[in-house]
Amino acid sequence: MANPLVVLREEFDDWAVLFDPDTGNAFGLNPVGVFIWKLLDGRHTADDIALALASEWSDAPENAREHVAELIESLVSNGLAGYKIAMDR
Amino acid sequence: MRLMNTPRSMEISITPRCNLRCRYCSHFSSASDVDQDLRLEDWLDFFDELGRNAVMDVTLEGGEPFLRQDLAPILDGIVKNRMRFGILTNGTLIDDAIVHHIETTRRCNQVQVSIDGSRPETHDRFRGEGSFERAIQGIRLLQRHGVPVSVRVTVHKHNVDDLEATARMLLEELGLPGFSTNSASFMGLCRAHADEVRLDTAQRTDAMATLLRLQKRYPGRISAAAGPLAEAVLWMGMTRALREGREAEPGRGFLSGCGGVMSGLAVRPDGAIIPCIQLSHMELGRINRDDIKGIWQDHPALARLRVRTATRLGDFEFCRGCVYIPYCTGGCPATAYTMMHDENHPSPEGCLKRFLEDGGRLPDEPER
Repeated sequence: MANPLVVLREEFDDWAVLFDPDTGNAFGLNPVGVFIWKLLDGRHTADDIALALASEWSDAPENAREHVAELIESLVSNGLAGYKIAMDR
Repeated sequence: MRLMNTPRSMEISITPRCNLRCRYCSHFSSASDVDQDLRLEDWLDFFDELGRNAVMDVTLEGGEPFLRQDLAPILDGIVKNRMRFGILTNGTLIDDAIVHHIETTRRCNQVQVSIDGSRPETHDRFRGEGSFERAIQGIRLLQRHGVPVSVRVTVHKHNVDDLEATARMLLEELGLPGFSTNSASFMGLCRAHADEVRLDTAQRTDAMATLLRLQKRYPGRISAAAGPLAEAVLWMGMTRALREGREAEPGRGFLSGCGGVMSGLAVRPDGAIIPCIQLSHMELGRINRDDIKGIWQDHPALARLRVRTATRLGDFEFCRGCVYIPYCTGGCPATAYTMMHDENHPSPEGCLKRFLEDGGRLPDEPER
């Protein structure tokens, strides 16, 4: 899920910047990245997001799931997102 | 022209009050010199709006920001809204408690302290007795707490011969990573004290040579966006381009000297929203009354400033016959306003042709 401290700054067209105010670092996101970021709410899994992506973009590649996972990994390694662990009861 | 949805940064004159009356202060006697200090609640409401608009950076200036007794909750309001901040100060009112608070926010880009000389005689000349010692104490306090601190040196008639010692003091004795320079511009109180304060052409020539030499001695540690060092770099590039018969670079030959209105806005101490602290006469709206995003995207005065870049320098009588037009930016709109009463005019302060006609000389090109 998205780090709640990180700011999504939608700049122009559908491009955006993720701004981490604690470090001052900023990361550019293309429109697909913005779409994914908005679904990092702790309720959607990477599979859910890949499915949503495929239904939103008719030209989404077949390996969209891999791209989603790559972006999430990159966000996590930069402290912009984290994993939410599902608790089985 | 692509415009961001909202401004990225905001300059805020958080108070009109100051404990000093520097002879070249750009604030006093400008349109920002109002008699109203807004309440903490007003600023906090405004910061909430900035947060909703994903503004990234706020710079607090004045007047003197450290005069505000409520500076700590002001900073908390910025932090709460996921922004970072910087503070421009004369450095004389910084105490341990507020520096500790700044440190604990972990959101401070820098505190910029004005230092105008290596010793009290030069610094205090236009800033008032005792201000040098207190400002240096302020810098040391910031350093002890690990708060990023920078220095701005304003070059004027009575410190131009002290620049070498100033660089040594700041970079070697205080161990600062760097400092920036400008010069006393024709704004605010400087307009009334111009002859006493501003560099004459010969001093400007000396300042350029000295600062370029110091820049070589301290690589990457002395910078300038205005004043003699910035002018030397810009103007030497222009004369080189002319000599080599180069074509104009993109944007040159037009009023392209400032891109600030593409990235940020400013606010006066009374809450008037303005394009830039130095263009404080141009009221665009009021905080907590007018929508900042609406002003940013739709205000006609901002739109006019943004299309300055389509105004040809060759169309101005002022520039007629100048061989440097293809390489020139027209300089700062704020000094164009204070000198010509028109921000959409080339600035005489930034005019190479005029500098040379007055007997100015650019430093020799370094050997390649």
